[in-house]
Amino acid sequence: MKSIFEGPALRLIAAAIVVVNGFFPAVWILLTSLKTETELVSKPITYLPDNATLANYVQAFTSQPLLKYLGNSFIVAMASTVFSLLIASLAAYAIARLNLKRRQLILTCIIASSMFPLVTLLVPIFETMRTLNLLNTYTALVLPYVVLNLPVCTLVLVGFFQSIPKDLENAAMIDGCTRMGALWRVVVPLAAPGVFTAGILAFVNAWDEFLLALSLNSNPNFRTLPVGISLYQGEFSFPWPVISAALVVAIVPIAVLIALFQERVVGGLTQGGLKG
Amino acid sequence: MKRRQSMITAALSTLALVAGLGASTLTHAQSTTLRVFSGSGGSQRPDLMRKLYDQFQAKNPGVTVEVELGGATSELQRQYLSTVLNAKDPSIDIYLIDIVNPAQYYGARWLEPLDAYLGKPADVMKPYLPVYATSNVIDGKIAAMPGFADAMFMYYRKDLLDKHGVKEPATWDELAAAAAKVQKAEGNPNLQGLSIQGAPIEGAVCTFLLPYWSQGKEFNDAGGKLTLDKPAAVKGLKQWLAMVDQGVIKKNVAEVKTGDTVNEFKAGQVLFAINWGFAWDRFKDDPDSTVKGKVGVMPLPTTAGGRGATCVGGWQWAVSAFSRNKAIAAKLVQHLSSPEASKFLAAEGSLLPTYQSVYTDPDVVKAVPWFKNAAEVVVAGRSRPQSKDYGQVSDVIRTTTSAVLARTKTPEEGAAEIESRLTRVMR
Amino acid sequence: MSTHQEHPVAGTTTWDRLRDPSEKTLGVMLLAPAFLLLALIVVYPIGKLIWNSFFDLRLSGGGEARFVGLENYALVLRDADFWNAAGNTVLIVLITVPAALVVGMGLALLANLPFKRQWPVRLALLLPWALPLAFAGLIFAWFFHSEHGVVNDVLRRLGGNEPQMWLLRPNWAFAAICLTIVWKTSSFMALILLAGLQMIPKSLYEAAEVDGATKWQQFWQITIPMLMPSIIVALIFRTITALQTFDIPYTMTKGGPGNSTETLAMLIHKTTIDYLDVGYGSTLAVCMFVLSLLVTGFYLKHIGKNA
Repeated sequence: MKSIFEGPALRLIAAAIVVVNGFFPAVWILLTSLKTETELVSKPITYLPDNATLANYVQAFTSQPLLKYLGNSFIVAMASTVFSLLIASLAAYAIARLNLKRRQLILTCIIASSMFPLVTLLVPIFETMRTLNLLNTYTALVLPYVVLNLPVCTLVLVGFFQSIPKDLENAAMIDGCTRMGALWRVVVPLAAPGVFTAGILAFVNAWDEFLLALSLNSNPNFRTLPVGISLYQGEFSFPWPVISAALVVAIVPIAVLIALFQERVVGGLTQGGLKG
Repeated sequence: MKRRQSMITAALSTLALVAGLGASTLTHAQSTTLRVFSGSGGSQRPDLMRKLYDQFQAKNPGVTVEVELGGATSELQRQYLSTVLNAKDPSIDIYLIDIVNPAQYYGARWLEPLDAYLGKPADVMKPYLPVYATSNVIDGKIAAMPGFADAMFMYYRKDLLDKHGVKEPATWDELAAAAAKVQKAEGNPNLQGLSIQGAPIEGAVCTFLLPYWSQGKEFNDAGGKLTLDKPAAVKGLKQWLAMVDQGVIKKNVAEVKTGDTVNEFKAGQVLFAINWGFAWDRFKDDPDSTVKGKVGVMPLPTTAGGRGATCVGGWQWAVSAFSRNKAIAAKLVQHLSSPEASKFLAAEGSLLPTYQSVYTDPDVVKAVPWFKNAAEVVVAGRSRPQSKDYGQVSDVIRTTTSAVLARTKTPEEGAAEIESRLTRVMR
Repeated sequence: MSTHQEHPVAGTTTWDRLRDPSEKTLGVMLLAPAFLLLALIVVYPIGKLIWNSFFDLRLSGGGEARFVGLENYALVLRDADFWNAAGNTVLIVLITVPAALVVGMGLALLANLPFKRQWPVRLALLLPWALPLAFAGLIFAWFFHSEHGVVNDVLRRLGGNEPQMWLLRPNWAFAAICLTIVWKTSSFMALILLAGLQMIPKSLYEAAEVDGATKWQQFWQITIPMLMPSIIVALIFRTITALQTFDIPYTMTKGGPGNSTETLAMLIHKTTIDYLDVGYGSTLAVCMFVLSLLVTGFYLKHIGKNA
């Protein structure tokens, strides 16, 4: 697509703005992770560390099993993303393609679950998980996360499915495909950017989530990253340097993932299929 | 036919019942696991408590004590506990809770009264400092047992006071004058005269109460009813604001949290600081502290003609009302709040004792010399309002105080708001 | 449309229905997993919530529920704190949703440009996403700290003499919070819009070029209409999330100074967790739900119609 930004110079400036906007806090966290706490209150404030130290990283890893938290978060986020996409694809296909009578109501019901503040649903969800004996397991978090992500994923996918012309599916079905076959072999690949978008949204939502993770998985073996990072605090201390180090550890995998998949999300996979 | 069937059924069920009873008593004798909920934030010293749990385990074979770390700050712990206790979860047996919580949690029927296990409140609570006795006895029942104490102290730069020939101030006015003098003489624009906490944290409740109490006023009566003296409240708030205007307290005091005061004092930017007991070790031992050996500690100043008062803190041990092992849990609580435990925590962790006698114990004095000064402060300490609605009380006081210190409300408005909101709640 | 009408339907056994189901059966099968999951996880909590809203249920008093019918709702209407929080929340929605859309659109357009090296721009686009919400709030609170924050440091270096205490002035604190929210969520918008941009066929633009349309005209007449479904989706979720704004104001100002930056979600959190007033908290939550439904209602109608 042609951009409305003329000329390479303007483009470069605009790009610089985007890069600064996105990277600034991350860079700040990185620099802070190399400082000491007293340096943070020095006047005037310092940007580059006076005496860069890796002590914070050492402490971050030794005072808590940070890698375990990372692993737990990853497993939970990955599992909830996969299931969210699966279930949302099915539901989105039904809403987008089938001539169901109460389509709007169905969609509203799915989205309605996200309209309640989580804090008010916390205790009953806790009770449910306890009854099912699922506390302190991965499942305890994956199930609610799928439910939390269902509205976004479904809505995103409905939008993408709707924008794919029906002729392609019909062509496939004339060739002998069933509807379900058409869904997985034609529609989903064509809506790939939408699928990856929904996937990243679901992943990051699960990665970020704090409240449920705090209440349901208090066992350190199943603790997730955001809760773990909050534990570096003390009642009266907020050790920014150590927490920054932990945040760097938390962000790097996601950044890598994004860097790897940004081609898929943003790349023109569909250009071929829809051209002309 | 039917009769025979019912007889067989009866026999089988009796057998099952007996077997079941037998099995349960068998398992009861075999092993019990007690789960203790404790914050992970350093101030609750999970490392030291572990040693106390091990002592108990050694004396009571068959009992294992496990720890549940629910959150690093009292905020996060409150979040976690709210969920778990709301759901009447039996998985946690013992709680280590803040001094302001027993009234609230007991009112919510989350705590098991310990009278049946430990004895009559009057007898059980006698050896403890009076303020801890009253904070933990709610409606005539023992809601929790004192673990360790805390209070707000006045820390100061002894070296700077000596350098400029200023003696320790006894009243707030003297403190303001002393601070102004030293600040002027030092000529350092970064030197704060006094650092207090003005952010809307729990400590801000103390920031409100300290000047109020030191005028000799009471916030509530013994029955919990609000007895706010509005003019005195206004005077107290104005006292802080006057110091801000003088330059003794910094302008953005409403951004200052407990940790900020400590960090800034450590960096040498503060002359007088009000803070909890843990700060002493931080000033003395932290590798990046620039004030080692230069720190003094004294009781809080009073208002001229008033009386000295400080805010007490500290942590208490309570048994969950939903616990399945109440008797054993009560025993563990007794162990954790014993004089021996108090001595251990004092000597090993500089945690202030809740027993008057432990302060003057020779081993403790040797290990923690500054406790000699600390004793008088803690003994004169007062507790924040005891209310089953403490959550709301605290929220109103701390938010309003912070707003007044941020100058978005006048002291008069602040006092009026505290009165109007809390009259309904505290009656 | 129905090609399966041409298939020889040899009897209508269950297996036949499963292999090639009718629309209705297929619909049920496809929606079942979603609804089963919803039933398991949220139906009971939401039901309990609505139930509790009709009771005076305060845990601090021992937790006995007293039926009060609609009295809680009447209390809500008279509650100055509710209206304050609701007002703040609506204001946040009105400010941050359009702002995030505009900024997100800009970011998406930029990220879609053919740069020699794509990944810095795209990573920068998505990095705000990688930062957990609560920490984003804490970091920006620190940036705006009157003494140790970057904002004031830069201002001082530029010659300002007495920089603002941003978070201690109600209006500035509100602005700082909105800025942080827009920073964090414009990436969300950009992501959705970007995926939508990728689906627009190049041919449309080429044809427009040939017809002599300017870039601006191309934007308004091709890009926007083709992006409309994505925009609507992005708006719906940004709005629902904006109505539930909690983490950022909570970590930045705790609702202060006073309660000038307290949102509805914070009020509900405070009422439920700190005040232990479950009944009233539930009532507030139901009110928030109704508000969300009303606000997003007319977006949803639009989505359902597109076929």
